[in-house]
Amino acid sequence: MGDSFSKLLSVNIDFEQSHMFFPKIIMWLLFLLFLLIVVLYGRKFLEDLKAGRRSIRFFEENFDKIRLFGTIGVVILYFVLMDYVGVLFPNTGLGFLLVSIPFMMSLSFLYVHDLNKKKTIIIFLNSIIAPTAAWYILGNLFNITLP
Amino acid sequence: MEFLSLLSPELFLFVVAGVIVGIVFGAIPGMTATMAVAVCLPLTYSLDMVNGLGLLLGLYVGGISGGLVPAILLNIPGTPSSITTTFDGYPMTQNGEGEKALKTGITSSLFGGLLSVFILFFFAPVLADFAIKFSYIEKFLIILFALSVIASLSKKSMLVGIFSGVLGIWFSLIGTYDISVGGNGETRLMFDFMEYHLESGFALLPVLIGLFGLGTILEEAEKGVKDEVQSVNGAALSAATAKAGKFSFSVFKGQYVNLFRSGMIGTFVGMLPGVGGSAASVLSYTQQKNFSKDPSKLGTGAPEGVIASESANNGLTGGALVPLLSLGIPGDSTTAVLIGAFTLQGLQVGPLFIGEHLDIWHSMVVALLSANIAMFLIMFFAIKYIARVITVPKYLLYPIIIMMCVVGAYAINYGIMFDVWTLLLFGVLGFVGSKLGIEIAPFIIGFILGKSAEVYFVKSLESFGSFTIFFTKSPIAVFLWVLILVSIWFSIYSSKKGSQA
Repeated sequence: MGDSFSKLLSVNIDFEQSHMFFPKIIMWLLFLLFLLIVVLYGRKFLEDLKAGRRSIRFFEENFDKIRLFGTIGVVILYFVLMDYVGVLFPNTGLGFLLVSIPFMMSLSFLYVHDLNKKKTIIIFLNSIIAPTAAWYILGNLFNITLP
Repeated sequence: MEFLSLLSPELFLFVVAGVIVGIVFGAIPGMTATMAVAVCLPLTYSLDMVNGLGLLLGLYVGGISGGLVPAILLNIPGTPSSITTTFDGYPMTQNGEGEKALKTGITSSLFGGLLSVFILFFFAPVLADFAIKFSYIEKFLIILFALSVIASLSKKSMLVGIFSGVLGIWFSLIGTYDISVGGNGETRLMFDFMEYHLESGFALLPVLIGLFGLGTILEEAEKGVKDEVQSVNGAALSAATAKAGKFSFSVFKGQYVNLFRSGMIGTFVGMLPGVGGSAASVLSYTQQKNFSKDPSKLGTGAPEGVIASESANNGLTGGALVPLLSLGIPGDSTTAVLIGAFTLQGLQVGPLFIGEHLDIWHSMVVALLSANIAMFLIMFFAIKYIARVITVPKYLLYPIIIMMCVVGAYAINYGIMFDVWTLLLFGVLGFVGSKLGIEIAPFIIGFILGKSAEVYFVKSLESFGSFTIFFTKSPIAVFLWVLILVSIWFSIYSSKKGSQA
């Protein structure tokens, strides 16, 4: 009896397959936890949903579509261009500088409310000064690798 | 006193710079201490260890402290840990006692911070000495304990907390099972075409910067990036500088017990892994309410409320460093980013750290002490100017932050574009995940500890060949199991109590 119990708990890990031993346990654990969450909270969630106490709305009510998706779009464009332009000027960080300025401008204009002349000027100055300062201080003084 | 040679004037310069930038981050709602440390990490790439740590510790202390400014003046907590400061701080401002509230908060922060540094200084080496004897089995159990504590204190439910932690572990396992730790060098959890980029898995820092930098900005973008601060600033700022409520240190008369208790609560909550400053200040605020001579005054502008909240959230700073430096387990999300800074410098934090790097350890304590003092002096005497900082518009700040995030992610491995994409991936994942209810703090701790957990677990089984070893190895193992069970019991008990109320 005691012997078979200790056999149950003993393991032999095949070295060739040992890279999947722990991940498999973790995936089973994730799956079980997920099931448990569904079983324990699922019914209440559905009841709440029916009673209108909860909604399956993913975004907040009246969320800012333009600013949210605009941010993601601009950031993706920023990363792609930075890589592309960076290749043209290798090891100078110029790709970073040249792409950051228009990036900062577009993001600022995306975020700003009630744009006026003063704000426009500040945005222009900020978008030029901040990347230049970052490029100079980080890239040249601190010798940090920039795209 | 060998470490004295490491204490250059430069170190103090970096500490002060860190504190100032940290206060600014803390004071602007929507920007946190964690973000400050994550965004400024690239600056430390080229600094030496001591100066880099000085800068980061300054950022940490400043970031936690700065949160009290908007909390008191505008009823908006600058960081999550200053939520309870709004309860009494803002009513004080409305009564024309803004300056008094600010200076009370600042002084309490200093006290809480200093107290926690002393506890760190005396407690961390003891814990580390104890932990040196740990074998892989106890180390694995410590990680299990850390995860169970995080989960049991998680905001929504323990199950979701555990799920988030295990998900973090899963993400950390992506990549190669490294030969250097005894693995077989095979890649796993990915498709073949990803092997080139993901050979060594996701780098820690881009993940952190993505979650705490970009993720936060996406959340703000969804809300429309409104500058709520600008619209109300005039009235609030003039209220703060009104002379009606002059500050004097007599506010603290009869509050020494409160100050001390709150600082201790903050420090000990800080030691629990993954539990942030908000838990610390909420706990000490409720304790003060229980012990107060006149509990009805709390919430209507009582200085004792501000004292409890601020002393606790600065107590957190030293506390959170205790498990980091003695066990290698971060106490909160900011110290999780600090782990990244250590790894960058090629240092392994764990039980051996303090003994092997005594000079760095001592200079860290000195940096932390001077950061607290610098925070106090800067905030106490320049509070009026700092109060204006919170009016800096976000449409100028956020682009700068994203730019700094990119620099940080790109430079970490000397120019790998994939790390920048990791940043975007985890920024979006953090945004989507928190919508779905995934909790970021357990996720991060799981991500950081996942790979070590695997090595400890698999190697223990390989050498002992039986699961029973986790229970029978040593008295410490049994003790750790007791701790794990207690934390699970505590969570079930408190959730039952909560549902009855």
